[in-house]
Amino acid sequence: MTEQTPVQNSMKAGTWKKSSCKMCIHSCNTRVHVTEAGVINKIEGDPDSPANMGRLCPKGNAAIMRHYDPARFKTPLKRTNPQKGPGIDPMWQPISWEEAMETTIRELKKSVDEDPRKLLPSIADFQKLYLWAWPLVVGNSNYFSTAGSFCGGGYHPMNGFIHSTFAAANDVNYCNYWINNGSGDGFSSHLHTAAQAFHVANARVERNMRVVCVEPRLSIGGAKAEEWVPIKPASDRHFALGMCHVLIEEGLCDYESLKKDTNAPYLVGDDGYFIRDKDGKIYVWDGKDNKAKAFDDKSIGEFSIEGSYEVEGKACKPSFQRFKDILKDCTPEQMSEVTTVPAETIRRIAREFSEAAEIGNNITIEGRTLPLRPAGYNYYRGAHAHKYSSQSNHAFKLVNMLVGSIDVPGGHVGATLDDQKIDNGHVAEGDSGQLLGTPHQLGPHPGFSFPPDNMDLMSYFPLGVHPGHLNVEVWKNPEKFNLEFTPDVMLICHSNPIWSLPGNRGDWFDIMRSMRFIVSIDIVPNDTNCFADIILPGHDSLESWNMTMIEPPHTEGMCLRQPMTEPLYDTRSEEDIFNDISEGLGVLEVWNSVLNIVNGFEESPNLKLELDQKHGEKEIARRKGLNWNGKDLDWYMEHGHSVTPRRPDKWYKPWDGMRLLFYIEDIVRERDGLKKAMEAAEVPIRNEWHWEDYQPLPTPVLEPVLRDNGDYDLYAITFKDIQLNFGESLSNPWIKDIVYRDPVHTALQLNTKTAAAKGLAEGDLVLVESQYGKIYGRLGLTEGIHPETIGVSNSLSRMMSQNAGVPYGGGHFNDMLPADLENTDACSGQCESVCRVKLTKLDHIPDELKGEGNLYEFSDGKAMQ
Amino acid sequence: MTRYGMVFDVKRCIGCNACTVACKQENSLPDGVFFTRTLSAEIGEYPNVSRTYLPTICNHCEDAPCEKVCPSGATYTRDDGIVMVDGEKCIGCGSCAVACPYDMRTQIEETQITNGLFGDGNLTPFEEQGYSRFECGTFTKCDFCSERVDGGLDPACVATCPTDARVFGDLDDPDSKVSKLIRDRMGRQPLPEKNTRPKVYYID
Amino acid sequence: MFKVSLKNILRPGFAGGTFKSGYRFQKYWDTPMATAFFCGETGAGLFIISMLMDFLPGIIFGLLITGVGKTFFHLTHMGVPGKAWRAMLRPDRSWISRGLWGIIFFVGFGSIHVLEMLFNVVPAGLEPAVYMLAIAGAMVVVTYQGFAMSHSTAISFWSTGLMPISSMLYGLLMGASLVLFLNAFGFSISSPEYISMVGLAQVILIIAVQICLFSLLHGAKNGSKGAEQSYVLLTKDFLARPFLFGVVGVGGLVPLLILLFIPTNFIINLIVTGCVMAGFYLFRLLIFKAGVLDPILSPADIFKR
Repeated sequence: MTEQTPVQNSMKAGTWKKSSCKMCIHSCNTRVHVTEAGVINKIEGDPDSPANMGRLCPKGNAAIMRHYDPARFKTPLKRTNPQKGPGIDPMWQPISWEEAMETTIRELKKSVDEDPRKLLPSIADFQKLYLWAWPLVVGNSNYFSTAGSFCGGGYHPMNGFIHSTFAAANDVNYCNYWINNGSGDGFSSHLHTAAQAFHVANARVERNMRVVCVEPRLSIGGAKAEEWVPIKPASDRHFALGMCHVLIEEGLCDYESLKKDTNAPYLVGDDGYFIRDKDGKIYVWDGKDNKAKAFDDKSIGEFSIEGSYEVEGKACKPSFQRFKDILKDCTPEQMSEVTTVPAETIRRIAREFSEAAEIGNNITIEGRTLPLRPAGYNYYRGAHAHKYSSQSNHAFKLVNMLVGSIDVPGGHVGATLDDQKIDNGHVAEGDSGQLLGTPHQLGPHPGFSFPPDNMDLMSYFPLGVHPGHLNVEVWKNPEKFNLEFTPDVMLICHSNPIWSLPGNRGDWFDIMRSMRFIVSIDIVPNDTNCFADIILPGHDSLESWNMTMIEPPHTEGMCLRQPMTEPLYDTRSEEDIFNDISEGLGVLEVWNSVLNIVNGFEESPNLKLELDQKHGEKEIARRKGLNWNGKDLDWYMEHGHSVTPRRPDKWYKPWDGMRLLFYIEDIVRERDGLKKAMEAAEVPIRNEWHWEDYQPLPTPVLEPVLRDNGDYDLYAITFKDIQLNFGESLSNPWIKDIVYRDPVHTALQLNTKTAAAKGLAEGDLVLVESQYGKIYGRLGLTEGIHPETIGVSNSLSRMMSQNAGVPYGGGHFNDMLPADLENTDACSGQCESVCRVKLTKLDHIPDELKGEGNLYEFSDGKAMQ
Repeated sequence: MTRYGMVFDVKRCIGCNACTVACKQENSLPDGVFFTRTLSAEIGEYPNVSRTYLPTICNHCEDAPCEKVCPSGATYTRDDGIVMVDGEKCIGCGSCAVACPYDMRTQIEETQITNGLFGDGNLTPFEEQGYSRFECGTFTKCDFCSERVDGGLDPACVATCPTDARVFGDLDDPDSKVSKLIRDRMGRQPLPEKNTRPKVYYID
Repeated sequence: MFKVSLKNILRPGFAGGTFKSGYRFQKYWDTPMATAFFCGETGAGLFIISMLMDFLPGIIFGLLITGVGKTFFHLTHMGVPGKAWRAMLRPDRSWISRGLWGIIFFVGFGSIHVLEMLFNVVPAGLEPAVYMLAIAGAMVVVTYQGFAMSHSTAISFWSTGLMPISSMLYGLLMGASLVLFLNAFGFSISSPEYISMVGLAQVILIIAVQICLFSLLHGAKNGSKGAEQSYVLLTKDFLARPFLFGVVGVGGLVPLLILLFIPTNFIINLIVTGCVMAGFYLFRLLIFKAGVLDPILSPADIFKR
């Protein structure tokens, strides 16, 4: 037989090179095949990676289509059409890099020289997190993006309080009872999807791990779960509190762990503060001697976690008792009324959870005896992204803490974002033997300022992540918020806030239009950069260098990205661009010192960037690799990564000997600190500030969206799945080819019986209206959704933009969400992600939404094929 | 004798269609052309409802109806059981497409090639290096990535599957993973009543 | 009227081009293929009946309808018409191949037979062989399309022995009708007994076709889930109107009633032939449109998750 020229791409003549994926914010390890002619024709998971074991999600498989996307920005561009808006052609004119940079630097300098606060940065490349810090070099702490609003305004600070980490995941190595509440972890989204899905599937099949999914819509996880518990949107905290009630009432907790490993015994006064002795040590109640003693008193015979006491003349209770008092109003029956989950289900799941936790059981790992608690309550955005996000986050953590499953084998474990050095730990001891809570996982808080230095009011959120959605309310009411400056330039870097921000699109367009100058570093046209005045085209992930570790749930280590080909177009790296801007603004040295801090080079003096030089992406990647494990770039270029399973000493109970924050006194302290600062500065809005959002323990307060809302008889939720995980996917032809054939992503999801009761049928066109905004769409009926819910896939939420490759839908889901202070968690800055809506049947879709680019037409075309 | 087959673990499959995209990537498939698809079906009534994900692929049937009806000899079975289509010989009559109970045959239409994946009539370098394998008008299908298999690799869909829901191997080897899975977890063939004797099995 | 529109593709239980599990319409054999089938069976039926009575115009028209019409529409349908010859290669297993050989025999020997009738070109003694080979080819052509459809189990509705029988009955009915039409049109048939015989055959064939249709539907109704869908489509759903009014009414009942109760004349002949032809063409089209594949989930639908 004659040897034929292969037709399959991976078998053609060429070379494999290792790299890392960037189709979402995480970094699965890849190998990339480049033909002899230099064409990238196959990307696979790196079979040698202990993270994703050679596997990739659909997005990772589709990276080639981003690389060769004809819509990519090919040269620097200058706008020639002064009209700005969605779907309006900017009439780009190609210009030289010299002209583009000169204009950019001149325009940025003009505003920054006047007042550094006039700059609105929107920098969101998560794999080059150090770029986020750039605004600091000009003394700017504005933030025009959504990481806080839509990722984890309440989530990340709470992980910082509980685990001292950025993220958290159930420990798939040992978990046997996996609750997923409003989260796709292990199935369809969030942390290293393909990697996590692999390990979770193995646990389910090989170890019979039981999965319980609590969520309004039957997601992929719900479909795979042993049990789907449909729940009314925004009532997840109540489900968790109902579980806590059962665990405590029925004595199903890990009392030993509560007494020894948490501050549950610490005595809390009625003012919310711990009772301290004259040395500042926190009191506990010794049940044996029946008296209060300092927490570290060696003579304590029994840590009381219940009861009411009086110490130094102050009435007090152990924090556990404080929680128990709250839970009086959280019986499964009461919580059932809020959640619609039957009380018996709440009770049963709490019992199953506690039983699965094997309280009292231990395991020895690498010579350490650790509690084995193979039960974890995992959650994410669907469950926590509500007005009372901090309380919700805390409630979910407490379910775990009650059975002793925080940071132990099989339980719910904190996952660091980036350890920077292989031996770096992430915990420190705080006050009175407690774990030091580290709510600011992405960098220090800018500090209180009045008048506010930040248009998103970050100054007033000492515990939050930037509430980017508030930019619009402050911008519209500068007097009310005493805004002294009017931002007029915007620096955008791989960020699409106009797609991701909640609130009325029209208002956001107005902000964009009000800018004197907008520069955008990006790869493809999108909803936001169509407002830019200058486009600075960046390399894509197959043409660039990077070194990163992004919150992997079960592995750690640095992942290299290396160029597979020369840049296809006249593009530059972000580092080169920021270096030139910094130089132009005279802050290059500051920029280098910031880079040294945020990359951890300060700790390795030999790796410190020379302050007067410009360091490119390759050099920074090299030093990050060296900083991790001392291996130089050539080692990484061969191996692709230094990923290993998480080290048990750093992964399990790294805080051994300290106490977890069952009760978070810092929340009370920060509240009072802010109150004092606001009083002192006489901030006019201080009296409308939602002080009650600051709670050291979660309460069953109803989310505003759950309160009676007249005609708006349904809840609208939005969701993504693994094909659309994280950023832009729908300009990618391969992703479109699978997404717009999936019934879940081609119509608004409504329960069959709800539809019947409303006289609605499959395929009906409807108007969905909240009190804030509206969308149009076509109904798809399903049994897999809570009867009071309408589910809107993100694939149906795209708008007309200059990227014709993205089919636009009937409006944007986020338009229906409030972007105001009223619906923002004053503690964390998290905004509400659910809204109340009503449906109206229509005869036809409005004319302005008709056309070939409309996604309903598009998916119809797919359905016909 | 080697007899290649595949096992789909329905319990593992998360319906992500990474397989589908990996296949498009490996085989340079034009828009709307699939050699494998993962389907979904809702089962039950609220609240006792679930969704099943069902990977589908050419079953490389022992009694392949597509081979039986093919008038040109384009469809043939390799010694290792992989059912192949020789695009050079295919006349595009569609007999195979209507004879396949699994809807796994696709015709390559000229416009699918000329429009390009981005639909603008221009081909990306990826497409330029890939489309030459197709003859417009012919029918095509999955060949279990025969070239990868010959090179000792798993088919692309199997290699990429995040949850290991696809297992590829030798059905004639009693110790192979596929044989064991079929034995231990009662593998079932799709539409057995069609008497095509698929070499693809489903387990749950 | 019966376009497989989006609404029909996304009907409950059907998948269309989506990734839902469900019934799928076969989509590759469509109008050109139906027209080719129509021409093949019509031409062969006309040829066979005309041969039996040495009716030269019918023989010639039969050859033309199959040889030109069928070939043209097949090539229109075919993805790579330039390689059409390759369809000859597998008569050992493929009905399409066998059919092509049938066409070659039918058209080849049929044409020789015509030349023989006109110019006596066949060497003496070989005429019966030519005649038999031409008839045999035509018999293949008038049935093989049915075999090609019933050969595979994929589309349960097609997977029945009634398919080749319906092909043959329809072919012969078309043949009979066209013979009578040609006769009335001026291409007179020599013997009047033939005309009454063919007239009788026409009535019997119309009845036989309708019985065959009824049997097809009956089998489909009680067949696999996919076949049941075909039955529903043809009798209750968007294909019901063209099927019941067109194929059964216009193509069967109307000509039958006319033939039974109205004395024939040229106009009546024209109407009857038109009705039969329309009914048959619709039948060919609708049988393709109603070709439904079973959902692949059926063996797995007991899988929970």
